[in-house]
This record gives sequence, structure tokens and C-alpha cells, in this order.
Amino acid sequence: MPAVSKGDGMRGLAVFISDIRNCKSKEAEIKRINKELANIRSKFKGDKALDGYSKKKYVCKLLFIFLLGHDIDFGHMEAVNLLSSNKYTEKQIGYLFISVLVNSNSELIRLINNAIKNDLSSRNPTFMCLALHCIANVGSREMAEAFAGEIPRILVAGDTMDSVKQSAALCLLRLYKTSPDLVLMGEWTSRVVHLLNDQHMGVVTAAISLITCLSQKNPDEFKTCVSLAVSRLSRIVSSASTDLQDYTYYFVPAPWLSCKLLRLLQCYPPPEDGAVKGRLVECLETILNKAQEPPKSKKVQHSNAKNAILFEAIALIIHYDSEPNLLVRACNQLGQFLQHRETNLRYLALESMCTLASSEFSHEAVKTHIETVINALKTERDVSVRQRAADLLYAMCDRSNAKQIVAEMLSYLETADYSIREEMVLKVAILAEKYAVDYSWYVDTILNLIRIAGDYVSEEVWYRVIQIVINRDDVQGYAAKTVFEALQAPACHENMVKVGGYILGEFGNLIAGDPRSSPLVQFNLLHSKFHLCSVPTRALLLSAYIKFINLFPETKTTIQEVLRCDSQIRNSDVELQQRAVEYLKLSSIASTDVLATVLEEMPPFPERESSILAKLKKKKGPGAVSNELEEGKREGGELNGAGERPGDSSAIGASNASTPSPSADLLGLRSAAPVSAAPPSAGSLLVDVFSEAGPAAPAASVNDDGFLRDLEPPTESSDSLLAEGSGDSDSAPPSVVSEDPAPPLPESDELLNKFVCKNNGVLFENQLLQIGIKSEYRQNLGRMYLFYGNKTSVQFVSFTTTVSCPGELQSHLNVQLKPVDPLVEGGAQVQQVINIECITDFSEAPILNIKFRYGGALQNLSLKLPVTINKFFQPTEMASNDFFQRWKQLSQPQQEAQKIFKANHAMDTEVIKAKLLGLGTALLDKVDPNPENFVCAGVIQTKSQQVGCLLRLEPNAQAQPGEQMYRLTLRSSKDTVSKRLCDLLAEQF
Amino acid sequence: MMRFLLLFSRQGKLRLQKWFLPMTEREKKKIIRDMTTMVLARKPRTCNFLHWRDLKIVYKRYASLYFCCGLEDQDNELLALEVLHRYVELLDKYFGSVCELDIIFNFEKAYFILDEFLMGGEIQETSKQSIAKSIEASDMLQETMEEYMSKPAF
Repeated sequence: MPAVSKGDGMRGLAVFISDIRNCKSKEAEIKRINKELANIRSKFKGDKALDGYSKKKYVCKLLFIFLLGHDIDFGHMEAVNLLSSNKYTEKQIGYLFISVLVNSNSELIRLINNAIKNDLSSRNPTFMCLALHCIANVGSREMAEAFAGEIPRILVAGDTMDSVKQSAALCLLRLYKTSPDLVLMGEWTSRVVHLLNDQHMGVVTAAISLITCLSQKNPDEFKTCVSLAVSRLSRIVSSASTDLQDYTYYFVPAPWLSCKLLRLLQCYPPPEDGAVKGRLVECLETILNKAQEPPKSKKVQHSNAKNAILFEAIALIIHYDSEPNLLVRACNQLGQFLQHRETNLRYLALESMCTLASSEFSHEAVKTHIETVINALKTERDVSVRQRAADLLYAMCDRSNAKQIVAEMLSYLETADYSIREEMVLKVAILAEKYAVDYSWYVDTILNLIRIAGDYVSEEVWYRVIQIVINRDDVQGYAAKTVFEALQAPACHENMVKVGGYILGEFGNLIAGDPRSSPLVQFNLLHSKFHLCSVPTRALLLSAYIKFINLFPETKTTIQEVLRCDSQIRNSDVELQQRAVEYLKLSSIASTDVLATVLEEMPPFPERESSILAKLKKKKGPGAVSNELEEGKREGGELNGAGERPGDSSAIGASNASTPSPSADLLGLRSAAPVSAAPPSAGSLLVDVFSEAGPAAPAASVNDDGFLRDLEPPTESSDSLLAEGSGDSDSAPPSVVSEDPAPPLPESDELLNKFVCKNNGVLFENQLLQIGIKSEYRQNLGRMYLFYGNKTSVQFVSFTTTVSCPGELQSHLNVQLKPVDPLVEGGAQVQQVINIECITDFSEAPILNIKFRYGGALQNLSLKLPVTINKFFQPTEMASNDFFQRWKQLSQPQQEAQKIFKANHAMDTEVIKAKLLGLGTALLDKVDPNPENFVCAGVIQTKSQQVGCLLRLEPNAQAQPGEQMYRLTLRSSKDTVSKRLCDLLAEQF
Repeated sequence: MMRFLLLFSRQGKLRLQKWFLPMTEREKKKIIRDMTTMVLARKPRTCNFLHWRDLKIVYKRYASLYFCCGLEDQDNELLALEVLHRYVELLDKYFGSVCELDIIFNFEKAYFILDEFLMGGEIQETSKQSIAKSIEASDMLQETMEEYMSKPAF
């Protein structure tokens, strides 16, 4: 037994711990523990009242036993009793026990809350801290209900001790995270923000965590924190290492606080105030400069703390994504770290560069490091670093380097760690498809992929290659030839056989002219693999064989023999047997015409987003896939065409319906949905096909069936393909319908009008969701921040947003969405950036579609994005003469638009002025001879041209309320602009 | 914020567990198992960071003990390493060249010290002096050695 430490110790406890440690076996340990539990139980039950010390000791022993991994089902009451002890040491153990072990026994919580309440009002700072810790540790809803009102008061009260303030801030943060609805900010918002100015560094450090979290959820209310944070940061960055005394950590001034300040700033766009922004840029530059200075200490703690700040600064620079100069410096700094001898720094540099790669300003700079990154992939000893290198290669890939990167990734795959192979395969498949210039390269790459890492090639990957081959006739011959060659290998992966079977079945005719790959050779090659394959692959091969009979009548007898042999027609697997029987019958009964129709070449698949991407996302979790690859339409699985093809009335479709076999993936049983859609009489349709032998009638429906669904993914991956259709087969058909973006809400025009004269505010709100908007425009460019707030306590999943520009708008406006995390936690807010470029003037608004699942139900919502032509106004000041001269120049009838309309709001001159300024024009004073009238001028900046606009608004303010009218006149060099502005503005007054 | 902090020995024996979000016992056991197997399998001189599910794992070995924490996506890994280091320093200052046994026999102290330093997974106080002072102050409230020695052992 070691010497007892200072302060209080519990001898009995130490003896017990010693005993446990001396136990030679697990059994002995359990025996000792049971003995102790029996002892404690009898003490607790005993008649004699226990003194505080004994109670404390036994509670502590119970805690120890629990932490060893044993269940504890008593002692809670004794622990709660300890809370009301006035001996600190007993109270402390009581609280520790509660913190570690409390369950949501409501009776107990009430007692605990009582004790906490007493301690909070005790005005003894040590007791208050204990109570606050307990609240933070348990953090249950009941506690939030009891204390969420009290803690803010403690936090901002003038006489609260610093240490209590620190605890109160973090305790409140904890409650806010559990129950944001119970923590009301309101009146104390500004006092909390001003904690950033507190003299005590510890208070600032604790408070800033709270402020950051609150700012993320309520950016507007907390935006004053930006300038405070910048000035605090600036003071720290410029301080000497000794200035901050104990808050200097290994010669680095306040690293924790610095990082948190930089993190807080990442909740906001760059400061609008020039002075604040200048100061911040200065800070960031100083931090970058310091990285180049020689270290003040050789200790790793020094460099870690210093680099922690540096990485956080770089994260802020990347977040702003607006200072090319800083971005390039950041990239160079990370480039240095890529070759640093510290593995940690190499790891982090690779990770940060991934985000830099998606910025237009630094993408090229990141690409210059390609050799270093490839080298890291090959030589790093640590698998987690190699994985980051692979991620970065993926992120920096574009058309210019795709071939090199894909080749490197492929060669790395041969030796890659098993843990990352599947992900690597997905990435290679995505890059190969995305950057394929010629599709023969794509086919080569995927076949190589199957050859090298066949086991890790998921269904999606080989579905995808088949789909692409089907859709592109220029590559079909090449694909057939290549896959034929690949199958020559004595041992080839089953996935290769699947691809081969499918492609030769469809396009084998394209290479059949060559005697070396004549139909029979092809068939024999495929059939040589047959016996080594699993049931699903064999089923696919059988389908390929029947297609062969259609393509090459000369193979008919050979194939029929194969189908007829016992191992097929009497196969114990019901699926294989059924296929053999049906195909054999089909080939012998049906006329060539029918056969040709039934087995017609596959129609092209509808073009949709790659399902591989969805798979990768699912694998990596949110945010893992680099931005440029995300186009928003995540849910669209490529190969689930069946959902849109209702026709099920075919021979093969019918066979599906009757075969609920485990090999379902091959015969289209993507859950039961398409099948259950087929009428129960599907079997009789089968007969119809043969009895009528009419080629035309069933053709259309026959096309759609079974073979297509050969490609259907098995059920376990169905949710990745159809992010929203997961599992529930009954609801599949309606959900297919509802996945199309909903039409815009009826009120969306009204919502749009709200934002004509302002750039920020709440765009939309319902019980579930709030959408806030902030936007800024310069010249013909705009940037919009959308804030999606989850108002519920349940997370939203599969949260996706898309923006579409209907019709002509596509060529008038360029709108780009940065991706948003598919998971929005309850009470959380996520931000999305939209970049907008005005190419030429436009009248419609882009449509924002939002989809997510809330408690399983799909929410589908469309709104008009408040981007209107006036956002691209540049105000133009001009004198009275100039104005009228120009007004006259724009005198052609189509250049003018005019509306006379009733006032909807009171005619308040200041309000009208504010609106006109908000419109973006210059409000010209003393131009109109009538001082009642308003005139404005501005130039609309588009990429293709500039459109000068003049505006005149004439109110008849003297009229009775209710009869007040405006006359609004717009003149511009372009008729569509005059008209649109007139329409927009007429709704504003 | 930090989601959890675990201290375990080279043999995989858990010495301290702190969870900053409520979790079921099953989840906890799963995390403990995953962390010990993952971290103990790491070769020497590899980096101190791992990805696990959606968390960043930061760990460091001090003598026979591994300190391992799980961070959320936006947390700073390097700084987390220094959080671990500062905690080791605090233990060291309190126990005087701390060793694994100190933490085994005085686990409650290790928790109290951690509580002074972190709360709800966020840093509460970084100053070594301030923390040492408040720990000392609470020790002053506890019994004297004589009182302790006169207590019965069972």
C-alpha cells in the first residue's frame, strides 16, 4: 500500500483497493467484491445510523467497484444523503458518486436537485462550484428545468467569484446543449458577450466556449462578439510571452484562449467594419510570421501550443475564403509542414490541405504539392497519415492530374492497409468517372480496380461501370473486348465475372466477328467460371446465356444443353432452378421475334448522380467528401431505375414475384417494392406473352424488367442508393414521387418580396425549421449565407439542399452551393454558403429546395431564393442636370416601365428612403423639382453588360389614408430590367 | 468539446473514465474496448491522432499510462494533446511525481483535479497555479492526518 497522500484519505478504501490488486484471478476479485458488497449492504441496512465518514467511505468503495466495471444497484440514497452534509469532503464524494452513477430515477433527481439548490444559494464558492459541476456532469433535462433560470444570474452577477463564474459559464453551456429551449438568453445576452472583456483570463477562457456555442445558434444576437474577440486576440497575439503570467504555456501566450477566439470568429463571415477587419488580418499575419521565427523552447509543448494557434488561424483563413494572399501563405505554411519531421504535423497539414483544396484561390497552390503527397502515400509508416494523404489526393484531383492520381491510388491499392481499401476503391471509382475524358480509360481503370482489389469493390462500383457502358455506345465495343481479355486470366475475381457476364450478354456481338472471340468462345469462357461462382453470380450468368441465345442463334443448342442439365434445371437453389427452367422454355417456345423483343438491348439508364458517392459519404460520415464532388443531388441512386418503371408484367419480372429467395439482389427485389407493385396475376401475364406471341404489345413493358433489376443493389445497400427510401418497402413508391423537389410554397413570392430591399433576416420558419439569411453583393457577384436552424430536439437526417434555376434563368445566373452536413442535430444550426454570379439580367428567382427526414418522415420544401436583379446595383450619384438629360435619353417606350398603385403602408418619408437605399440605388437629393418625390440612380452590374437605371417615385401624401397612391417610373437601357424592377418595387410600399 | 477522456494502462486496464455526454453503459463499454485495442495496437513514433467514427481521437502515453480523449470535428488536436499534458502536470504537482499507483489509490482525487480543469468537455481553467490553489483550498477543508489515522479500517 503506498503512502497515503496529503489531505483526507480513507484507510478502509485503500485497504480494499490493495486487496483487489492482490487478487490472483478474476474469480478471486469477484469474490472479494461480493464480500465487500455484502458488507456495505448490511451496513446501509443496519439499525445503527452510520456516521458521515463511514457513509462516505462505503459510497466511495461502491464507486470504485462500479469503475472496475461491476454493476451497482444500491447506495444512491446514501450518496444523496452525503450531498447535504456540511462536511466538504463528504459532500464532494456524494457529488462524485452522483456524477458518475446517476440514472434518471426521477425520485432521486428531485432530492439531488434540492441539495444542489441549497448549495447554489449557500454563497460558499466551493459548494457552489461542486453543485455546478454536478449539474454539468449529469446535465439532464430535469436539471435544466430546475436551474436554467438561475445559472445565468450567477454568471453575470457582479459579486460572483471568478471561479464560480467559470463553472457557471460551462455549466450553462452544458444545459444549453441538452435543452436549448430552456436556456433563454434575452436580457443577459450582452452581459455574457462582454465577459470577453473580463480581466480574469480564466473567466474569458470558460465564457468563450459558451459564447461560441450561442453564436453558432444565434449569430445575429451575438454578432457584437466579433469586434470584442478581435481586440482580445490582438492583445494576446501582440503580448510578450511573459505578460500573461500563468496563462502563458511554455512561452506561448494563452494558447487555449487564442484558439477559442479564432474558433469563435469562424462562426461569422469576415468583419464588415474595415478597422476590425484590418486588425484581424494583422493578427493572422503575425501568427503566420511567428511560425517562421525560431522556437523559444525545444519542448514539444511549446511547438504544439504554437502550432495549435497556427492551424486554427489557417482554419479561419480557409473559412473566410476571401483573402487570396493569406490563403496562399497558409498553403505554403502547410506545405512546409508536409515535410516536417513531426508526424503529427504532417498528419494535420494533410488534413487542413484537404479543405484548402476546395477553395478556388488555393486549389492550384495545393496542387503544387502533389509529389510530396504521393510520396507520403507511399512512404509514411503510419496508416492514419497515409489515409490522410489519400484523402488529400482525392480532394486535389481535377481534370489536369486525374490520370496521375488515379494511377498512384491504384498502385497504392495493391499494398494498402485492409482497413482503408474499400474507401480507396470508392474514391478511385469516383475520380475515374468524374474526370474520364475518354471512357476507355474509365473502363480500364475500373477493370483494374476489380483485378487489384476485387474483394473491396462494392456492388455500386460494378453497377456503375455497367451503367456507363450501357449509356455510351462509343465504349461498348471496347468494354466487351477488354472484359473478354480480362476474363482470360486463370483466376479472376467474381466481380469481374459479373461485369463480364453482363457486358458480353449485352454487347458480346460487337466482338463476335473476331474468330478468337466468337460467340462460342465467349460462352465457353464465361461458362468456365460458372461453377466457381456464388449463386447470385450464377443467376446473372444464366441471364447472360439467354441473351446469348438471342444474340447468337448458333449457340442455342449448346446453351440449351447447359440449361437442361440436372445441375441447372434441378438445382437445389430455387432461384437458379427457376431461371434455368424459364429460360429453357423461353428459348424453345418463343419465336425469334418474341425473343428479340424480350431480350432487347438494355435501354439507357436515366442519368443521375453517382450512387458511389452516396456510398462513400455513408462510409466516411458527413463532410468527408470534398466539396467539388457534391452536386447536391445525393439521393439519386443511379441504378434504381425500376422505381420509375412501373411495368412489371414480363416473363422475368413475373419470376421475381414468385421468388422471394435470398439471392434477391439479382432479380430486382430491391426490397419488395417493385414486386408488390406488380399485380398478383403476374404469373398469368407470363402465359400471355407466350400464348399471344404478339411481339408488339408486351414489348414496352418487357423492356423494363428483370435484367434491369439484375443490377438492383441488394437490400442492405438500398438506403445508400436512395438516401430517403431506406428500408420501408411499403412506402417506397410514394417516396419516389415525393423525392422530386416540391413546388415552391405558395407564400414564397411574398417571402421573396421581403428581401428586395434588405439582405439579412429570417427567410422562412415553420415548426421544424428556421432559415436565416445573410447576403452581400459586390459588382456582379454575391455571397449568401443560409442558416438552417433545427427547432426541434430531434436530429434531421439526410438533410440536403439544392438550388435550381428554372428555365432561362440557368444562363442568366450562376449559383453555386457549398455542401452542407447531412445531419442537423436537434437545436443545432448549420450554415451554408451560396456563391452567386449574375451573368445577365434576369426576372425569375432561383428555387431553393430543402429535403430532410424528421423522425422518418420526408420533409420537402421549396422556396424562392431572394436573389433579385436589384442586388447587383451600384449606386450612382449625379446632379439634377445629368439626371434629366439621361432621363430624356431613355425615352423610348419599351425603356420605361410604370405602375400606379395603392400604398400598402403609411407614407413615412424615412421608411421610403430606407427602402430605396436598400434597393441599392443612390437616392438623389434636390433633383426632382417636387421635394415630395424621390429619384434614384444606379447601374446594374452583370457579367455581360451594365445597365443604367433611373427611378422616380411620386407619392400623393396629401390624400386621405386609404386613398394614398404612388406612381413609380423606371427607365433603363434594357426593357426587361425596367419591367422587373418596377414589378419588384411596386410590392414594397 | 471533448466527448470523453480515458486513462488506461499498457495492459488495457482502465484507470479513469470521464464522459462529458450522457451515454449508456453499453456504449461506454464499446468505446473503452475500441479505444484500448486501437491505441494499444499503435506502433511507437506514429502520430497521436486517429479517426474513429465521427470523432477525432487524440492519445499520448505517459510512462505506463495512456491518456486518450475523443474530440468533436472542430476541435484542435494539438491543443488537446496539451490538455492531456496539462492534466498530467496537475496530477504531478498534486501527488509529486505522479505514478499509476497514485491514480489507482486516489482515483477520487484524480476526478476532483480533472473537474477543476475541465467541465462539460471544455477548458475551465488553464492556469496551473489557480487550479493548484483551489485543490489545496479544498484539501484544507478535509480532515487532519490524526483524524484519519484514528478511523477504523473497516
